[in-house]
Amino acid sequence: MSTVDASGEATARAARSRGPIPKSELAVAAVLGGLGVFALVDAHTINVPASASAVGPRAFPYAVGALLVLSAVGLVVALVRGDRGEVEGGEDVDTDGGADWASVLKLTGAFAALCVLVEPLGWLIAASVMFTGAAWTLGARPWWRALLVAVVLNTLVQVLFTQLLGVYLPAGPLEGVPFLG
Amino acid sequence: MGDLSALMAGFETALQPEYLLFAVVGVLLGTAVGVLPGIGPAMTLALLLPLTYSLEPTAAFIMFAGIYYGGMYGGSTTSILLNTPGESASIITALEGNKMAKAGRGAAALATAALGSFVAGTIATVALSLVAPTIADLAVQLGPPDFVALAVLAFLTVAAMLGSSPARGISSLALGLFISVIGTDSLTGQQRFTLGLPTLGDGIDIVIVAVGFFAVGEALHVASRLRRGPIPLVPISGRWFTKQDFKRSWKPWLRGTAIGFPIGTIPAGGAELGTFLSYATERKLSKHQEEFSHGAIEGVAGPEAANNASAAGVLVPLLTLGLPTGATAAIMLAAFQSYGIAPGPQLFSDEPDLVWALIASLYIGNVLLLVLNLPLVGVWVKVLRLPRPYLYAGILTFAALGVYAVGASVEDLVLLFILGGIGWAMRSFGFPVAPAIVGLILGPIAEEQLRRTLAISQGDPTALVTSPFAAVVYCLVVVAFIGSQWLKRRQARLDAAVFAVAQASTTPGGPTSPVGEGRPTVPSGKERRDAARTKNDETNDWDSGGQW
Repeated sequence: MSTVDASGEATARAARSRGPIPKSELAVAAVLGGLGVFALVDAHTINVPASASAVGPRAFPYAVGALLVLSAVGLVVALVRGDRGEVEGGEDVDTDGGADWASVLKLTGAFAALCVLVEPLGWLIAASVMFTGAAWTLGARPWWRALLVAVVLNTLVQVLFTQLLGVYLPAGPLEGVPFLG
Repeated sequence: MGDLSALMAGFETALQPEYLLFAVVGVLLGTAVGVLPGIGPAMTLALLLPLTYSLEPTAAFIMFAGIYYGGMYGGSTTSILLNTPGESASIITALEGNKMAKAGRGAAALATAALGSFVAGTIATVALSLVAPTIADLAVQLGPPDFVALAVLAFLTVAAMLGSSPARGISSLALGLFISVIGTDSLTGQQRFTLGLPTLGDGIDIVIVAVGFFAVGEALHVASRLRRGPIPLVPISGRWFTKQDFKRSWKPWLRGTAIGFPIGTIPAGGAELGTFLSYATERKLSKHQEEFSHGAIEGVAGPEAANNASAAGVLVPLLTLGLPTGATAAIMLAAFQSYGIAPGPQLFSDEPDLVWALIASLYIGNVLLLVLNLPLVGVWVKVLRLPRPYLYAGILTFAALGVYAVGASVEDLVLLFILGGIGWAMRSFGFPVAPAIVGLILGPIAEEQLRRTLAISQGDPTALVTSPFAAVVYCLVVVAFIGSQWLKRRQARLDAAVFAVAQASTTPGGPTSPVGEGRPTVPSGKERRDAARTKNDETNDWDSGGQW
């Protein structure tokens, strides 16, 4: 923990809370309130069987919906009073700059590849594609070293899970290869 | 002393070679993930929840206990040696510990943290073994309305204490409760909030939500704001532990334990508060005031002890009342549930073997940590150097693996990523994740008790407050809410004061300003990083003169 960073954050926070409310923060409150309204409306459509006792399946969903709406209102009040969301810190997180959307999109692509490929090509290949893509996105160079790490790691996973733990992982075209399928 | 013989029986179980092996694996795994940035014990337990399908409960809980204690232990190594801001629970250790490391006393900082953790962990585990059965005996008389009251207490304190403001904490809690309602109502078999989607018919598995929020959410968060460049590690140097160090450490250890354990047992948001209070105490009592903010050993010894003592304290409400007071405890509760075991007053009478083996394994885990950790510190430093692209790609891989292994379902993977996106958004907008997890896991229990209460009273809502115990708890909720806001303000003040002093003392030639006096000017991010790097280079010289 570099203490210098933290006091800088505190000052930056004080400066930010004087500015206008960022639209994104209001949007978060709106989403929360919208979810609450959905919960209240949808709770009304839950069937209540005749056998249900005093409190049926609707009561708790109503309460949750009300809590969501209330917390959205509370959030807006807090925003008006100068409360601003702070990006959560962490050892590997640089809170100075904005979010790097390109990296997140690439990561999403890598994960989507896993979802699409896991059934036709099996865990080993699909997860290796995802690992390589994710590591490359985060700055691993050269790409073939990331691929090497990915293949070794996922081969170990495939063998350990299917042979030792008895968990099913699809093998894809590697079906029938000793220890993998 | 029926409890003592039960504890001995627990030791007999936990010391069997097979279980001992699980304890060693848990402790090593826990320390490794505690050392790694971005992975905490909550996330590790979430990833390992699927293991509960193939392991028998005793083995699983012995391993989970090892991970839990090991994670606490590993975190201190990171905050002492890694020169970047970390998670809030370890900030205090980092404050003095990191300064000690930079001043060439890293070895002593690691030693006092390890020994203090052992002392505090052991004393607190003794306290746990004494207190827990007594509380369980008393709690047997509690009825459904009392558990509703306790759940409300846990919800509100967790939401109010974690995170920067109550509004954000409660929003997170509400989101967790909402997710817990999705699925089929267990009492009437009705679909709720499923949008008619068959995937949601059985509800969303806790594993998917927890792994999504913690693992995928964290990976996306780090990916969006990755700190580039070399990993700024401070080399370990200096003497390990001198007589003088011990003389200055043992009192803070004991005081830290005395502060940490009770705070762990009450729903006050986990270990963070205890470490802050311990630090404030040591600062006040120390004879070496001038060393604070420059690497005072008391400032590592006390908070580190408090941190571990509260980790044991957290288990008291979890085991005796089934009440999780933080994210890690909530996931342990989920693990109990997946075995069909409900932690609560009956746990000690229904599952004595399991509970006492778990408690015995905490003692064993503490000894293992002491024996394994200092000698293995070189390994932990290597773990810390793990290149971040591989670390976070690995976290994503294991998150997907954990979820896919449960149901071999691509839909679950998509759901996992969506929940990860929500977890990322929460981190970006300053919403704490822990209240959502507590709401998700405690929500269904609270609903069941609520409906049971009202079924017994035939719909009369006053039944919720007429039980004397429940009435007392609701009064406590009010007191706790006001108290927590007061404590948080105090903590923030201390926070600001400490940082102001630290800032003034790191400015070359700058005078050390008195506590709480004005905020210093802030250098730009780049300047700050450069300054940190220069400091690192300086400490490299210390290494050559080091004593190890």
